[in-house]
Amino acid sequence: MIVKWSLTWRIAVAVLGIGLLLNGSLRMSDDVWPFGPLSQYAFSPPADATIVITRVEGRLADGRRIDLPLRVESAGISRAEIEARIPEITSDPSLLRTVVDGWTRRHSGAPEIQQVWLVQDETHLIDGRRGRTRLVELASWEVPR
Amino acid sequence: MSATDARPRTLIPSKDDDRGFGRQLPDLVRKRRTHYLADWFAPLLPDSRAVIFRTICYLFVIVDMHLIVRDPIPLSRHPELYRPLLLERMFSLPPPSLPLTIGLYLLVLIGSLVAAANRLPRVAGYLVAAGFTWWTAIGMSYGKVDHDHLALIVALWVLPTVGTIPQRWASRERSRQAGWALKCIQIAVVLTYFLSALTKVRSGGWSLTSWPESSILMWAIVRRPHGLGQFLAAYPELLHLMQWFAFAAELTSVVVLWLRGRALLVAALFWLSFHVFTAAVLYIHFAPTVICWLAFAPLERFGPWLRWVIAGWRKRTGRRPARHLVPVSRDQAVDGSG
Repeated sequence: MIVKWSLTWRIAVAVLGIGLLLNGSLRMSDDVWPFGPLSQYAFSPPADATIVITRVEGRLADGRRIDLPLRVESAGISRAEIEARIPEITSDPSLLRTVVDGWTRRHSGAPEIQQVWLVQDETHLIDGRRGRTRLVELASWEVPR
Repeated sequence: MSATDARPRTLIPSKDDDRGFGRQLPDLVRKRRTHYLADWFAPLLPDSRAVIFRTICYLFVIVDMHLIVRDPIPLSRHPELYRPLLLERMFSLPPPSLPLTIGLYLLVLIGSLVAAANRLPRVAGYLVAAGFTWWTAIGMSYGKVDHDHLALIVALWVLPTVGTIPQRWASRERSRQAGWALKCIQIAVVLTYFLSALTKVRSGGWSLTSWPESSILMWAIVRRPHGLGQFLAAYPELLHLMQWFAFAAELTSVVVLWLRGRALLVAALFWLSFHVFTAAVLYIHFAPTVICWLAFAPLERFGPWLRWVIAGWRKRTGRRPARHLVPVSRDQAVDGSG
């Protein structure tokens, strides 16, 4: 009987797994990962959509204002993680400390960062084609000394 | 080898084993149904295929931790940004900290090396499955959830169930345990495409046309400006055509589960070139899913093929094949036992 049981649970697990995945895609949100919907690039932006690229810029002690690339290797955090926290950051800009600390740790020889800005490059689509791009400032934070 | 790992592979039907699925059941109708389900969900496949896949899969986990989900350690420095997923809340997993993520990293690394050697397949396998699932969940608990790991996570959870294969890569046995694990991985690979099509239908208000007609590829290209994408951005109509093509392919992808032989090879090559193309346009690789396509491949033929190639090469270059060891008189083993 153990053989039959062995096959029964295998088929049951497979069916249950397929059911959970279907349920995730049809009804649930990302929160139920790994059984959530496969929603990467699954939405439908209209032909006049506004496309934003979120960035963080910093003013260094030598006066230069530079882009602090939001990648794990350069800032310890990636763009997607910052984008997911925009509402929190605009209400409490000191959360940008994450980027400042991450960048400083990986650029020990560079001049220190005095101020940071959370900005977005906004590109407007016109009839499905790429239109103009403008810079929008969402938050700024002066790094306490 | 643990005691449970040493149990005989009773799922292999054989003449003298009437406990296997080869046995005659009195009820023929029931038998046919059982066999159909069994043959589909747990086909008899070579153990060596599962064993070779295990090695590749566990080695890939190590690569993944360094190149793909590589941020849990740096992210764990920012507890203020951590938003646990349902999985982490359900099991009351502690919030990530540096010691925790470094410990998890070491656990998955060592576990993967052991499991890749097909040693302690259950213990090491489940440790890696749990550890890597947690590791990936941490990487996705800071706002962004990716979907390229579905098949790999499934693979890590089903591979340990194949258990110990005494001859490992050289095994000539076939079993339903191996077949079931490989089938689950195949299903997960195909569902990665099919479910993404379903999600597109859902997010477009249950419409079949809203996603393919949308500006999603343009949106993706503007956000991820890379070589080929920059060129294609000038042709929005072409992008729509590509969206229709991808959507139709994803929606019909389940067919792959019933393909065999050359048709399966063509389908696999199609999807692999699909990933090469999306990598060229958007720099999105889906490598964890691509690796799991190997669950469809007759990996057990690789060893004999390699030996055949080497033999052919030796023949052409006039080199003799490696000779067998011949005992030399008064020769003694290094440990003194001979």
